[in-house]
Amino acid sequence: MSVRLDGNVIILEGLCRVEDAEPLLGWLQADRGRMVDLAGAEHLHAAVLQVLMALRPTIRGAAGDSFLRDWIAPALVGKNPVESDQRGS
Amino acid sequence: MDDLLQHFIVEAHELIQQATDDLLALERNPQATAPMDSAFRAVHTLKGSVGLFDFAPMGIALHAAEDLLGALREKRAGIDTHVIDSLLACIGQAERWVAVIEQTGQLPPDAAEEGYQLARALRSQLDEDPAQAPDAALQADLGWVEELMAQAHDPAALRAQDHPLVAIRYTPRADCFFAGDDPMALLRSVPDLLAVRLSARDPWPPAAEIDPFSCNLRIEALSGAELDRVKAVFRFVPDQVTLHEVAQAAQNEASIAALNGAGAGAATGATGGAGARMLRVDASRIDRLADLVGEMVIAKNALAHLAGQFDDGLDRKHVAQGLLASQAAIERLVAELHGAVMDVRMMPLRDIFRRFPKAVRDLAGQLDRAIDFSMEGEEVEADKAVVEGLFEPLLHILRNAVGHGAEPERLRLEAGKPAKTRIVLKAYRDGDRVKVEVGDDGQGIDPAAIREAARQRGIVSVDDLDRMSDGDALDLIFAPGFSTASEVTDLSGRGVGMDAVRSAVERLGGQASVRSLPGQGTTIRLSLPLTIVMTKVMAVRLGHELYGIPLDGIIETAFVPASRVLPVRDAEAFVWRDRTLPLVRLADLLGIQALGEAPQRLKIVVMAAGDDLVGVAVDGFAERMDVLMRPMTGILANMPGVMGTTLLGDGSVLMILDIPELIV
Repeated sequence: MSVRLDGNVIILEGLCRVEDAEPLLGWLQADRGRMVDLAGAEHLHAAVLQVLMALRPTIRGAAGDSFLRDWIAPALVGKNPVESDQRGS
Repeated sequence: MDDLLQHFIVEAHELIQQATDDLLALERNPQATAPMDSAFRAVHTLKGSVGLFDFAPMGIALHAAEDLLGALREKRAGIDTHVIDSLLACIGQAERWVAVIEQTGQLPPDAAEEGYQLARALRSQLDEDPAQAPDAALQADLGWVEELMAQAHDPAALRAQDHPLVAIRYTPRADCFFAGDDPMALLRSVPDLLAVRLSARDPWPPAAEIDPFSCNLRIEALSGAELDRVKAVFRFVPDQVTLHEVAQAAQNEASIAALNGAGAGAATGATGGAGARMLRVDASRIDRLADLVGEMVIAKNALAHLAGQFDDGLDRKHVAQGLLASQAAIERLVAELHGAVMDVRMMPLRDIFRRFPKAVRDLAGQLDRAIDFSMEGEEVEADKAVVEGLFEPLLHILRNAVGHGAEPERLRLEAGKPAKTRIVLKAYRDGDRVKVEVGDDGQGIDPAAIREAARQRGIVSVDDLDRMSDGDALDLIFAPGFSTASEVTDLSGRGVGMDAVRSAVERLGGQASVRSLPGQGTTIRLSLPLTIVMTKVMAVRLGHELYGIPLDGIIETAFVPASRVLPVRDAEAFVWRDRTLPLVRLADLLGIQALGEAPQRLKIVVMAAGDDLVGVAVDGFAERMDVLMRPMTGILANMPGVMGTTLLGDGSVLMILDIPELIV
């Protein structure tokens, strides 16, 4: 499983596929305060990505994968600093 | 090329033509029901046929055109020049694509982009949002590119790039996940990413209503790689991606325009050339051929029967009678068969005429002239070679009528003429010839201007010019090297003047002439043979040899007493119907030693050589005949003075002479 829940943190690992979007969405819908850890993620399927974009959970850990780190992660954290600050605090 | 594809190409040409006709008819009369239904059907059918092949971009564009036509048909409103323009642009692109498919079997590499852009332009009309017109859309696009560049990690470095960047806007379809697409994987494989912006296509719904499997992403990115490499990444989703080359955007636009121009040229080239195009034949004509072949078989069986009777020792006279009867029957059948085959080659002028309304419309648009164009006699038929050979010359004549004949509206109104210049393309049968005329009620040609231009260009000597009648002066527009200054503009950039028109028409065995009245208009008249396959010739005898002379050049045959031939220095002349004509002897022309004594009475063929008449002395007149002339081929192709050959009944070869060429 490339998505798992560890306490209050949703951990995305390895190659996240389209079917990972549903559990991710479910966990985030259940508790909007949950954080998402991308450190071990190597790829995010667009379905997974759009869940993160829509719900904007707090992102923990910089992705090891350079594509995710350079191009995708900024869209999840930096795009709307006010909002993410609120959530981060 | 497989059969299915060949049929598609033939059908596509027809449907495209049909759609073009209908759209032009709609533009004239937006309320007309028949052309609207017909255009819809044509586009719908074409779209369906395209679906059988791997021509997705063409399908996407046509689908949008179909939807737009469908919507217009529903509400019968909003049909203006702008809508017709965008529909014609789509159909025109389809025509160019079909021409490329005809040559290569596939769509050109840039088709995906073109198709999507066409579809977008058409769909924007469907939304009835004027701001969504293609130009506006393009502007908006460039806006997001700017933002994206500003957002890049190092904008300054980005702008300093000396090669163009590719801006990508990828809006995956909502159901793309079900098709197995992962837009992120595609984005990841874009080479040399420089900037990325991710956003939602539509605002995100409340958290509880999010459908994780419906894609709502919009992905914008910049790449430093070549357009083709980026394009390759998105080759399976061309309908969801727009790509722009930036930094050299203006230049790129220009090159696209140039490409389109080249495509148009190729399209006309492909259809204009005779090539190996298929011939569509009315089924009833084939049936008639089949019937005739059936009768031929019966006639052949009658011969077998006769041969059997001969074996049985039937008397000579009886057999001879039977043979004669059989020969007569076969002769009749061969004549009918020949007629039927010629019939198959006959095609209506409509096949080329129908392409002119759009051409004239385009030209009128380019040159900002108001034109009222009409056609008559589209149903007149002529041999395939004649009809197809007429396209280029007629297009050029029409181009001249729009470019030179038509005056600006203001001048016309001042001169008391209707605002629109009337141009009429007319065809009619005249005996065994087809006459085609292009007439306009424009400014006409001023003979004085023609004289002046001819003098400046040294086409004729000043003395000759002074002697010329106005009619002859007008005829100079057909002279090689003559083209009025304004003709060397964007209008006839191909460098084809009226001399090319005349020579093209003469190659088909026709003539071109001009009549014009300053201030009242110009008419160019072409006269063409119905068929160039059969040539009427008169056989003449020289010694023991027969030669053929095309009958259309012969005025009459005459017997002239030798005493009436007047020596004129080292040449000869004779008087014929009160005119003095030069006399040439065919033997001299061919360099053959004349046989025997000079006869008391000369047998003379009076014929036209250029604009003058000439008498050609021969040893004897033989019969007139219709022959299938074969042009000279191979090393004989350039032999002067011989037009071609034909086989005579006894198996000997008859050379058909080009007397004017021999005299020159």
